[in-house]
Amino acid sequence: MLTKKQKRNNWILTIVLFIASLFFLFPVIWMLANSFKPDAAITDDMNSIAAFVPPALDGSFFDNYITVLTNTSFVRYMLNTLFYAAVLIILGIIVNGLAGYALAKIKFPFRERWLMIIMLLMIVPMETIITIHFLFIAKLGLLNTIVGYVLPMIVNPFNIFLFRQVFTSLPDDIYEAAQLDHCSPVKYFFTMVLPMSKSVVATVSVFTFLNVWNDYLWPSLVFTSGDLLTAQIGLNAITSNENTTMGQTLAVITMVTIPVIIIYSLFSKQIVEGVVSTGSKEG
Amino acid sequence: MGFIELKNVCKKYDKTDKNAVTDFNLSIEEKEFIAFVGPSGCGKSTTLRMIAGFEEISSGELYIDGKKMNETAPMDRGISMVFQNYALYPHMTVEKNISYGLKNMKVPADEIKRKTDWAVKILGLEEYRYRKPKNLSGGQRQRVALGRAIVKNQKVFLMDEPLSNLDAKLRVSMRNEISKLHRELGSTTIYVTHDQVEAMTMADRIVIMKDGVIQQTGAPMELYEHPSNKFVAGFIGSPQMNFYNVRLDGNTIIFKDNNRVDLPETIAEKLSKYKNGLIMGIRGEDIKLDAQNLGLNQDNKQKAVIDNTEIMGNENNLYFEFGGVTSVARVSKYEVSHIGDTVEFVMMPHRMHFFDPETEKAINL
Amino acid sequence: MNMKKKRESVLGMAFFGPALVLLIIFLFLPMILTLIFSFTDFFALNPGLTHFTGFDNFLQIFKDEDFRKAFVNTVCFVIIIVPLQGLGSLGLALLVNKVSHCKRYFKVAFFLPVVMSLAVVSTLWVQIYSPEGILNSVLSNFGIPAQPFINSASQALPSIAVMSAWQGVGYQMIIFLGGLQAINPALYEAADMDHATAWQKFKDITLPELKPLCIFVFITITIGAFRMLVQPMVMTGGGPSHSTYTMVYDIYETGTVNWEIGLASTMAIVFAVFVMILTVIQTVATRDKEEQNVNKKTKKK
Repeated sequence: MLTKKQKRNNWILTIVLFIASLFFLFPVIWMLANSFKPDAAITDDMNSIAAFVPPALDGSFFDNYITVLTNTSFVRYMLNTLFYAAVLIILGIIVNGLAGYALAKIKFPFRERWLMIIMLLMIVPMETIITIHFLFIAKLGLLNTIVGYVLPMIVNPFNIFLFRQVFTSLPDDIYEAAQLDHCSPVKYFFTMVLPMSKSVVATVSVFTFLNVWNDYLWPSLVFTSGDLLTAQIGLNAITSNENTTMGQTLAVITMVTIPVIIIYSLFSKQIVEGVVSTGSKEG
Repeated sequence: MGFIELKNVCKKYDKTDKNAVTDFNLSIEEKEFIAFVGPSGCGKSTTLRMIAGFEEISSGELYIDGKKMNETAPMDRGISMVFQNYALYPHMTVEKNISYGLKNMKVPADEIKRKTDWAVKILGLEEYRYRKPKNLSGGQRQRVALGRAIVKNQKVFLMDEPLSNLDAKLRVSMRNEISKLHRELGSTTIYVTHDQVEAMTMADRIVIMKDGVIQQTGAPMELYEHPSNKFVAGFIGSPQMNFYNVRLDGNTIIFKDNNRVDLPETIAEKLSKYKNGLIMGIRGEDIKLDAQNLGLNQDNKQKAVIDNTEIMGNENNLYFEFGGVTSVARVSKYEVSHIGDTVEFVMMPHRMHFFDPETEKAINL
Repeated sequence: MNMKKKRESVLGMAFFGPALVLLIIFLFLPMILTLIFSFTDFFALNPGLTHFTGFDNFLQIFKDEDFRKAFVNTVCFVIIIVPLQGLGSLGLALLVNKVSHCKRYFKVAFFLPVVMSLAVVSTLWVQIYSPEGILNSVLSNFGIPAQPFINSASQALPSIAVMSAWQGVGYQMIIFLGGLQAINPALYEAADMDHATAWQKFKDITLPELKPLCIFVFITITIGAFRMLVQPMVMTGGGPSHSTYTMVYDIYETGTVNWEIGLASTMAIVFAVFVMILTVIQTVATRDKEEQNVNKKTKKK
């Protein structure tokens, strides 16, 4: 039972939060509303409440979007990024997953020491060594290639550690049963370990995707121009072009955000769990 | 040479100086059902896992079907196994769990189907065929684990405490099912359990272990009637055998509380060198309250006050202080006694077991 | 060595091998090279002229106007954003946890900016902060004159900090909400029995229970702030007059634009020392948190 006073406080609280939420939403609403307008309308509406209202739904409603999709390589950049993400998710799960499994379940020489080293590597900030990565990739002649972009991003000490923690709790007797069922260790990893650890595989996949999709520095170093750009770098290339209107810019950044919104709504459970339990992944 | 032969098998872990299993010698015949039994930590599971190949054999030799197996990978030893926690593949249906091994062994599809159908049928799993393990009860999971083991047609069947996760009633029915399966399939079976009842009811032969050492090997009744030492005598049988520290005076044994029992001369003679005392053991059912009906020596009648009872229905256990220890007599349901009653009883001299007080080994009578 | 052990060793190395090779090439080696280069005048466009220069680089970068500026800017950014984002996320979490209407709406609203990438947010806010932009138009309704925001040397850094806090605050709010929900409600019920006021409950129950999480969150924000780069890259190019030039920006420009790998490495080492110290503090603090959680669980039993 709530007292009258508690009820009143609750309404005050709701109103305070609502005002705060306006501060968080107004840039997003403005972005959405104006991504459908020509630049003249954006400027005209700037000083009225119309700035937050989308224009009437007429023939030119989607013009900005259509222009961006047809006149620029934006679709190509989006598809590039999806492809890089897919490659890195698959390679990342194989390489980091196998390593995590070895550290969790296989007694090989110096296992504990390797684990210690992995944990130490987790604290090295990428910005420290990105110059050297760039030097390597440049010297190997891999600038502006997919291999050059992907190669340094495959291994991830944090993911190795995460896999290791989860795999440690897998029961040993299932491995023994599988051995008696003539299942090779490699087959066991792919057909048993990964399906039994669906949730960590999902977490790692989602975070890898977000990482690839949102990454800025590394792709901006590797891809200096051309058709291989990622969505984030591509968006910069498009918006810094003098012919791109403000409305088109807003349309581009809206579209770049859509895949991430889809991922968040599909995997909100994994993400919130990941955020709450590890707390140390940069968003 | 037996079908499975263990010769001087030892297990020693790196970081300890004590052996987990010491000098294990056993020869198992084809189609035999052998139970390894003992308290936890006695090395029974370790031995089983050495036979399976999941633990290394530190020293000694293992032969299966005449071939030395020490260095052979588990899957090439011709064994199948049922695990304590079932070890079912959680993301596969019952059918997939059972057929997984056959698929990996490249068995033709129609044969896989035939064998899986057979196993599903024989174990009564038809309804659950397409369920995943998490949607099955403990008993059903156990059946799937059995099914997975039997379809592979291996000659050796290893079971590691397969019933320990089931409730008491289910355990009895699964016990019967496993026995039946064994009779039908005829595979050589090694069954590890800490439950002596399971071992007694299912096995052709029992191996009793303690601290990594075999205490005695033999048929169930052999162990029951002729335990080779005090540990075996105490481990087999429920309620536990009564043990008394006694002294011998001529043909009479004298208990701590100065009660006396006269022994027949033939028995007393063989005990004569244990002047300083020895251990006498007698099972509850060999303490008789209706001595007059059995023509026993009425002079040996003892008296005691019942201080606790366990009513089982078919029979009752009566507890009383005697000979300085709490003793138990197992009587039929017709001999009703209550707490506080004074009862008269006779210990059957021919059913007594005697043990050396130093070595605890049985004294041959 | 016996068969089983040999098999395990081979298998282990086969599974760990691919990761190990990549770790060596892309983590060990770059770290060692960074350390070595930081004591040289390695210039990637003319590697033949490389000398060992001892601690010259370290002296040089702190004499260097741009790096000093970048260092000061980074520290300023940290000082502005940590209270803003840390206290902001804690406050929002406390309020959202309490509110009984539209809880889901508030969670989504505050989390929405997190979904947007830094590049998107920066591009968007360039428009929002523009002199004729929507923010100035909104502010003019409150009688506030037009502000230059990212176009002035004095306002650029705080503007970027506010934007960054706006973008990141929802993330830490979710962490705090998780922490708040983990507090045993019996504690509050007991406090009610003791006639505790709302403020007392907050001070004596909520804050102590959240303390380890607070340490963790504040350090996470600090580390993130130290690594700030994308916002000035997209919005200001480090200007105006280097007012938004950060340490990572300097590393990036020195190393990959000017190819002065030696100097960039020295900066990277200085940067890494700061970040790694913070990470170690964070790890120690979180380990305490885990131990406390374990204690709590055992106490509950």
